Amino acid sequence: MESIKLRKITSLWIITVLALFIANIVLGIVMRLNQGEIIHEQPATFYAHMTTHGLTQIGIWFVAGMAGINYLMERYLKTSYLANVLAMIFTVIGILMLWISTYIGNFHAGWTFLYPLPLKVMWAKWGTPLFLSSILVMGIGWLIWAVSLMTQILKKYPLSKALAWQHFRKNPAIQTPPFILISMITLIGIIACLLGAVLLLAMYAAEYFSNGNFVNDALLMKNLTYFFGHTIANEMLYLGLAIIYELFPEVGGRPKWKTTWYVALAWNCTLVFILTAFFHHLYMDFVQPVGFQIIGQIASYMASLPAASVTIFSVLVAVYRTPIKWSLTNLLFFIGVAGWVIGGLGAVIDVTISNNFILHNTLWVPAHFHTYNALGNVLFSLAFFHWFSIQFSSKGNFEKLTKLKLTLLLIGGIGFLLAFYIGGAESIPRRYSNYPAEFPMAAPLAIAAAVFATIYLVAILIFFFQISKRCLNILFSPSSY
Amino acid sequence: MQNSILLLFLVLAGLSALVFSFVYFSSKKASVEGQGLSNPLRKRFWFLLILFVVLGIFASVTIPKSPYFLFADETPARVIHVSAMQFAFLMSDKAIDPKTPAGESSIELPANQLIEFRVTSLDVNHGFAIYDQSNNLIAQTQAMPGYVNRLRWKFKEPGNYNILCLEYCGMAHQVMRATLTVK
Repeated sequence: MESIKLRKITSLWIITVLALFIANIVLGIVMRLNQGEIIHEQPATFYAHMTTHGLTQIGIWFVAGMAGINYLMERYLKTSYLANVLAMIFTVIGILMLWISTYIGNFHAGWTFLYPLPLKVMWAKWGTPLFLSSILVMGIGWLIWAVSLMTQILKKYPLSKALAWQHFRKNPAIQTPPFILISMITLIGIIACLLGAVLLLAMYAAEYFSNGNFVNDALLMKNLTYFFGHTIANEMLYLGLAIIYELFPEVGGRPKWKTTWYVALAWNCTLVFILTAFFHHLYMDFVQPVGFQIIGQIASYMASLPAASVTIFSVLVAVYRTPIKWSLTNLLFFIGVAGWVIGGLGAVIDVTISNNFILHNTLWVPAHFHTYNALGNVLFSLAFFHWFSIQFSSKGNFEKLTKLKLTLLLIGGIGFLLAFYIGGAESIPRRYSNYPAEFPMAAPLAIAAAVFATIYLVAILIFFFQISKRCLNILFSPSSY
Repeated sequence: MQNSILLLFLVLAGLSALVFSFVYFSSKKASVEGQGLSNPLRKRFWFLLILFVVLGIFASVTIPKSPYFLFADETPARVIHVSAMQFAFLMSDKAIDPKTPAGESSIELPANQLIEFRVTSLDVNHGFAIYDQSNNLIAQTQAMPGYVNRLRWKFKEPGNYNILCLEYCGMAHQVMRATLTVK
């Protein structure tokens, strides 16, 4: 069973993530208000918000998923507390460095920092090295954490068992819990993309310190950027799915899910598809070999097959005509899976090359990824946060304000996302601080998005106060608690 | 085209929401002895097969329409060299020398003839996105330093077309533009 120290660090992760999420939603609302011409900021300030918002969001939901699987993994094996604490320290330092680089250094090359924009300095000279170092610091912390968790898994389960390959044969002698399988698959993907980030940063450093004697290849750098960026953004969602496999049946009072041959096959295939789907970010670079472009579309399509036919189908089968003990936790999981599906539909449309030709870098792109984050992954993590916080609280009505919170989340989330989707269909560009006069719908849509995002924010604030109060009690409770 | 895509998405999203709502309410009404879905493995297989076939049809229909294959067998009537730079587009019938870049931000093109845009960048990544007179995005490619992307397009309607940058390129990204007049 997990230690008290683990409870405390998990509580600290939850409070940190929720506090930063609130700050980040406010940044998002400020950006939409600026686009709606309600407030007027300098474009460079807008793009500094955009850079901060993007990387902070990736960071916090990644660590939220990691904190969740780290906590639950103690049910199966011992994890390293030191690695968990180091990840916390590195993440906090990294986020601080990021915010200093963007708000004091005015660095604003976007969270994808597409080469060679960070090297064409339009901000404080130290902004670029500080921003890139912030990614390095966070990356080191996360790599230590991911490698540590994987090492602990491999101490108990040999690689073939951790990947559940024995389930391809009849009556396997050893059962691999789905939680271990999905965690292992996800950790491999995370380590691969973090190593990609290390290579990317090393190549930036080589050019930065070469005094013009060495210039990187822009196409290679773009491939590396999206191998890292796309993969980590998807892996953080899979961390949430590992938590669902573990907690959804348990919270609903149903038997634990088991690994079968098709669950094992689906997740092993997912590993392959997720590491090759990033090519879809380069569709509009026609010099990229056409074979890679087609692999991008096929791998992206194929990635949806195991997700739909195994995870989503399993969740629906687990609920259909089955008496479930519904609570806020599994309602959040269930709605989150629906949000993931709907965001996935928007993604499948966008990864079709002929559609991407007229959707790429319009508001359709933030539309789909905000869907499976704001109404998918965030809900998975909120479910875990809520479930965790009530484990060690003896008093109180834990289902208080459930209907209100879910209603606000859904109304705010759907309204906010619809503004993006309609904007995408109107060909409105993404990443514009101000919209040209040719797009009369753009400003009203931005204002509507800000209003709905504020409703979503109210729901998150309620979650924050309720969950943080309980987590603070855990954090400051005596160690014998 | 974009409106059809939005409609398709809204229909699929609505159907998904209905399925999830239906499944949720079936659970709320389920008796204690509720048995759930009968023969789920078989149904899972059919669901996967249908999805696989639908996506296979989608891929086989859409991949040949990818921009890399547009007008691939035809010879362009005109080649336009495009050099993007922070925060302007230079366009010319002649190759643009990166050391002394020169070109126009507005050019005239013939209607119904194949035009090949050879797009590159002199500094950072940019987008080269063509918007029609209704401000719908009709074609695009990226402008990448060190590479030339070839975008082939036939303008059917005479009129003014805007070029906007669709890849974030710095603080004045939102005002980086050019125009095409098709006659």
